[in-house]
Amino acid sequence: MTANPHLDATVVETRRLDLLRRIADSGGAISPVAEPQAKHGYQYVAPAGDVANDLAVLARQNYLEARFFDKVSLCPKCDGCHLNVREICPSCRSAHLASEGLFHHFRCGYVGIPPEFTPEADGGYRCPKCNHTMHHLGTEYDRLGKAFVCRGCGLVSETPPVEAICLSCGARTPAENLVSTVAFSYLITSRGAEAVRRGRLFGDDDEPVRVADAAVYRRTVILEFLLHQMKRLLQLNEPFSVMLVRWAPGETAAHDGGEPAKWLTRLKGCLRDVDLIGQLADVLYVAVLPHARSRDAETLRRRIETELGPRSPLSLSVVEIKERKDLAGVLAGLAGRGEPE
Amino acid sequence: MNGFLHYFLSALDPMSNLGFSRAFPKLMTSALPSWWFEVVLPVALVVLPAVIVWLAYVVKPALVRPPPLARPRQAEPLVSVVTAGRNESATIGQCIRGALLCGYSNLEFIFVDDNSTDDSVAIARRAALSVTRSRHDTERVRIFPSPRRNGKASSLNIGIRMARGEFIVIHDADSIIQYGAVQHWLLPFTDPRVGGVAANIRVDNSTVNLLTRLQEVEYAMKFTLAKFFQSKISVMDIISGMGGIFRGEIIRRLGGFDTGLGDDRDLSTMLLKQRFKLAFSNDAVVWTTVPETRYHLWRQRMRWRRNIIKIRISKHRDMFLLGRYGFANAVIAMQLAVRLLIPVTLLIGLFWAFYQHGLEGAPEVVLTFYWILVMFLLVRILVARDVASTPKLVNFPLIFLYPFYVLWLEMPNIYAEWSELFRIGAKHHYVPDHIWEEIPWW
Repeated sequence: MTANPHLDATVVETRRLDLLRRIADSGGAISPVAEPQAKHGYQYVAPAGDVANDLAVLARQNYLEARFFDKVSLCPKCDGCHLNVREICPSCRSAHLASEGLFHHFRCGYVGIPPEFTPEADGGYRCPKCNHTMHHLGTEYDRLGKAFVCRGCGLVSETPPVEAICLSCGARTPAENLVSTVAFSYLITSRGAEAVRRGRLFGDDDEPVRVADAAVYRRTVILEFLLHQMKRLLQLNEPFSVMLVRWAPGETAAHDGGEPAKWLTRLKGCLRDVDLIGQLADVLYVAVLPHARSRDAETLRRRIETELGPRSPLSLSVVEIKERKDLAGVLAGLAGRGEPE
Repeated sequence: MNGFLHYFLSALDPMSNLGFSRAFPKLMTSALPSWWFEVVLPVALVVLPAVIVWLAYVVKPALVRPPPLARPRQAEPLVSVVTAGRNESATIGQCIRGALLCGYSNLEFIFVDDNSTDDSVAIARRAALSVTRSRHDTERVRIFPSPRRNGKASSLNIGIRMARGEFIVIHDADSIIQYGAVQHWLLPFTDPRVGGVAANIRVDNSTVNLLTRLQEVEYAMKFTLAKFFQSKISVMDIISGMGGIFRGEIIRRLGGFDTGLGDDRDLSTMLLKQRFKLAFSNDAVVWTTVPETRYHLWRQRMRWRRNIIKIRISKHRDMFLLGRYGFANAVIAMQLAVRLLIPVTLLIGLFWAFYQHGLEGAPEVVLTFYWILVMFLLVRILVARDVASTPKLVNFPLIFLYPFYVLWLEMPNIYAEWSELFRIGAKHHYVPDHIWEEIPWW
């Protein structure tokens, strides 16, 4: 009996929707919990199935937003996470190291490990070099920080190399050669919430072009528009401007609150019909202003700022795009601020 | 005196050699103090050794520059290079790279940072990373940032404590080991009586200004030529801290350096008292950065001279006792007397000439004295150039300035001697207070 691919797809979709619904019901977020038996040391509390894979797929499809939770070091040989990480001797590779503070006798300059100095009945130590008793730490002798002394070969080092031994396969790997994977926590997005409300995941034909509840295009859509505008610039020599809009309520002393959607709708009302607004990142939007030169865009920006008033949580800036590198500069600036290009 | 000058100047004239041959026996049997103090004694102490070295080099070059073994008799012994420094960010990088890439495979480098206030440690780690590809301590490089300033001797002791080598190189952070030097450096250790070997110190920054050029001429004569002769007759008194290699076993048994001044001279003296020989290797070249300003040069020379006085006269004065540490060691101790004697004898000769001829004859006397010195220098510089390829030919004309340079350097030396002998300003600013208060020997 052969498997029915359509049925399989439905099963998978149902499972993922169920997962999405559970996330929505449990506060809109899911985080991994430490589990020694798990392959990579963390697992998600969820119904059976390849949860980690489902979450990754849902995040790729913008139903979830992935956020860094932890980094897990893995054995490059067996991909296991059960590693014993320890300092080793740079010479004989033994882990039999003792961390000792070296003694330094001011009088004769002798430097040695504490067992070399004989304890005296009066609480002092006898120096093996000059045979003089030293009593006062700080005025007669000193401890020179910590050094690692190998009990195998006697080598003294200050920052010995770190090595991991895999408890599963026994492979020994220098710490810098370990591979690593990232464990994510996931937050449901407006799209995910919409899918839960509808009771089904979005298909290709009903992929929304706008961010839910806002009069702005989704990131992928606005980037397409930008690309198209760039082609017009290169082929038809039609320069244009972009207005970067940042949602920064914290920078406004007393804005009158409200959702970004409300303010973006007001912003949209100030623009021409041919202008487009899209979301680039969480709190960053861009308005594409075709056929607008720098001076026009600046005038527009001032007019909008007056229109929105001093309590507006939107911070506006304009850039005229005259060649390819102008747009690249804007996008690189976004990347430099830790925002996606 | 006129007669003496006539004889002497006629001897300089190649056309009257015959006259000189008649005059020479008379001079040698004369009682003229000028002849003995200005010519014979300096020739015997300074020029004659140089001529002997040159003759040895002509007759048997391998005696002066022994070739390295084509195939080592045994596996290369582990050599630990120990460097200590404070605020050496300008030079520590090239120092580490130079040592690790000097063509000797079984070598480890240990840098002890004496609580620098600059980025010496970061630069040292970067240099180590460029060679070993590791950010951590490795078998080849270990760096110890000291949490408190302890002075050079103690910092070197930390390095010695960390070193595992059969031989330990003590090395300044502003010096660079030349490629292939370590193989030559180890050659004298085939003699079990040799405890340490001095490198041939060459000036790295000789082209910077007149002062560094003069120092190159000085180093060629003092650190290369003189040391070679002294090592051959077992009266070498110091292995410079700029570049010296020691048997690790001995240095550990001695407990490393004593705190305070003159780490290099002190350790060398302790080795001599243990009846070990100090040797010199002409082809173990270490390039050093010499002071480029008058202020730094004078400070360096005052430090050196104070070390000599402190260590010879105060700490190790028992070296003067004939028979306690052997005849050669007593001779070494006497070198201090000779070092003080030469200027005194020259001054006696000069005063005798003035006494004979009065002040009206002074210019003639001084000029004669000057030309005698220049002639001696010419002999030494020619030998140094032939034997050790140093100094650069372009610096040869500086021998005419060199007597003035020596005279000028005597000023800090005399100040250092007096302040040390009479304990004027005895505190040394390069020794931290908490160490200074505990040092027993000064």
